[in-house]
Amino acid sequence: MFKSWFALAILTSWAAMALIGPLLPLHPDSVDLQKIMAGPDAQAWLGYDDVGRPLLDRLISGARISFFVSILVVAISTVLGSLIGALAGYVGGAVDFVVSRVIDIFLAFPGILLVIALAGILGPGIDNVIIAMSSVGWVGFARLARAQTLSLKTRDHVQAARVLGTKPLTIVLRHILPLISAPLIVEATFGIASVVIAEAGLSFLGLGVQPPTASWGSMIRDGTAYMLVASHIVIVPGVALLLIVLSVNLLGDRLRDWLDVRTRLSAG
Amino acid sequence: MSNRRPVGRGVLSLLCLAAVLFTGCTRTQPAAIRFGLAYVPQKLDPRFSTDATSSRLIRLLYRQLVDFDRRQRPVAALASWARLSPLHYRFRLDPSRARFHDGRPLTAEDVKATYDSVLDPKLASPHRSSVALIREVRVIDQDTVDFMLSKPDPAFPGYLVIGIMPKHLLERGHDFSAAPVGSGPFRFHSWPQQGLLRLTRIKDRQLFEFVHITNANTRVLKLLRGEVDIIQNNLPYELTRYLESKKHVKVMHRNGSNFTYLSFNLRYEPLQDRRVRLAIAHAIDRAQIVRHMFGRKTRLAAAIFTPDHWAGDPQLRSYAYDPVKARALLRQAGYGPQRPLRLVYKTTNVPFRVRIATIIQYQLKQVGIQVSLRTYEWTTFYSDIKKGNFHLYSLSWVAVKSPDIFRYVYHSASIPQTGRQHASVGANRNAYRDTLVDRYIEQAEQTYDPAQRVRYYRLLHKRLLETLPVVPLWYEEHMAAVRRRVRGYRIAYDGNYDSLAAVTVRR
Repeated sequence: MFKSWFALAILTSWAAMALIGPLLPLHPDSVDLQKIMAGPDAQAWLGYDDVGRPLLDRLISGARISFFVSILVVAISTVLGSLIGALAGYVGGAVDFVVSRVIDIFLAFPGILLVIALAGILGPGIDNVIIAMSSVGWVGFARLARAQTLSLKTRDHVQAARVLGTKPLTIVLRHILPLISAPLIVEATFGIASVVIAEAGLSFLGLGVQPPTASWGSMIRDGTAYMLVASHIVIVPGVALLLIVLSVNLLGDRLRDWLDVRTRLSAG
Repeated sequence: MSNRRPVGRGVLSLLCLAAVLFTGCTRTQPAAIRFGLAYVPQKLDPRFSTDATSSRLIRLLYRQLVDFDRRQRPVAALASWARLSPLHYRFRLDPSRARFHDGRPLTAEDVKATYDSVLDPKLASPHRSSVALIREVRVIDQDTVDFMLSKPDPAFPGYLVIGIMPKHLLERGHDFSAAPVGSGPFRFHSWPQQGLLRLTRIKDRQLFEFVHITNANTRVLKLLRGEVDIIQNNLPYELTRYLESKKHVKVMHRNGSNFTYLSFNLRYEPLQDRRVRLAIAHAIDRAQIVRHMFGRKTRLAAAIFTPDHWAGDPQLRSYAYDPVKARALLRQAGYGPQRPLRLVYKTTNVPFRVRIATIIQYQLKQVGIQVSLRTYEWTTFYSDIKKGNFHLYSLSWVAVKSPDIFRYVYHSASIPQTGRQHASVGANRNAYRDTLVDRYIEQAEQTYDPAQRVRYYRLLHKRLLETLPVVPLWYEEHMAAVRRRVRGYRIAYDGNYDSLAAVTVRR
């Protein structure tokens, strides 16, 4: 129980940083050459980065980018992927064939390569990063949803609904998706972490956020160059990212248990 | 049983042989001296190499006719020369010169073959344009070769810096990049993989390994662990300071001559106003940046040539940091809080370059200039710069020695024509046009009197600083870190690796 509250507290503060960050009197971009890589002081509780900017201020303003990018990308990918996959699995036939081949084609490439290609065509900018990552991210969800649907579509309640003349979309939405949501949610929780990391990679190639805007990924990337001499630059955003990923996974786990009727019944 | 015995004996004798060979090998071949490289050498063929690492390694493998002294004046290396007329130079090869690594003597025929090969349009050597003024190379005798030019050029002998290659191998189409053969102090040993090159020092058969280690942290750790003995340059200042605190390692610094600058696109209307460019020059606190970001031998720059270059000007001073003046200049040019000047600043995504760009961006913001940074990987960045697709960018001129760079970079005839096939004839990428500068360049090119040439180049430097096509930033220092067991390594004025010829190891 403690674990869940802890995770919830972390995620709430992440969301709070993202939402009220712009209202705080922060100076994430103020360079001070005297303070390059300096440790914590009264002005900067977490120390300074490689050009003397306060790390705490950057952490808070970077939370915004990481939060919105990961939430949006994962949300779009989950909704789109689950719907496409479940419908293809349920309808079957030619539709399923075409969707499966498209999924195969997407999976044949390393995901990040496609994202880079897409982001390259769309041009730099955070909105384009979201579009590029979502248009690749849905594939995993679609494959999972399709496989789960195939095992469910012969179940009695689905057959009954079909006999009663319910439309395929309604069957998918009301009778199949609730049953396959648990693995999809777990997949989504893993997705959040990988999106934050992928965003860092794109920023590195000049396709994501542009300096001096802070994002956790770019902070980690910049910090790794100075691991030997100023490890706090990478530890601060690294620990923040670790806590978020851990919390999301913990909560995802709890959510899955809660959604699973069998565990709830046995617990009750 | 009778079958088995010979097999057993065979194995035993093989093992013995292997043991003898093995110990034999370790005895004749001394442990290698390892040099950590930040970049992989691209090509070890002097006709094709363009990257700095290859050029430095090529100097170890091949010898060139002409080299440069500390003030970067051309001096005799493999050959001394006499100017018989402005279009006719005679070179005499050093009588004590070494043979090629395959044992053949180096003669005037090889010099002719090397330059004829570079000049061959079919070969498409990137160095062809620098020696295109050679009309003919004539062999007089074994030790004498004449260069006939198509137009006079006082800087001419300074262009003959291509390593001399053996004629018989050139004729055979030998792959020099895979197996270089020259007459330098080092002989090619092997190149088993891209990131590991082995050379043997001829005088004592000492083996040298050049190991490619991209990451600066890894390079430092490998040096501290003794996996490499020498590293040079491409380290953030913080890591250099970290190495200075270690007792097994000696850190050296030396003045550098690589000129870093901030370039303006003069096709862009707001930057055509000199007041705007001057404001930017006054807004950047170069002294602070150099103090906190670079090693102690980094110097502020005022021109493309350092003050110790023969064509440099020790009196020249660039613009001081003066944000008040910068704001006033911007106001005069019609910019202010209501109408801020907005510029796009492009740079490579090398973390250290991004750091510098971020600081400059911040300093420009302090005087009210809104700069958005765009970081690209090298190919995209360089292609944008060549196309003139930028407002601001920063880059360095590396290993520039000869004043023909002025024509290449600042003459109005060197503005790349976009859309034309030969877009790379010049590097006047900011489209700078100044009749006075054009005239000084042309006059200096026609003068053989050294004092008079220096006078023109100083006038040129002064005019360039006044008109500000680029803001001169700094000359980055060279640094090297060497394990204490290695003796005799010196940083060269241009960062070359020549002193490896004298390095020894304490065992």
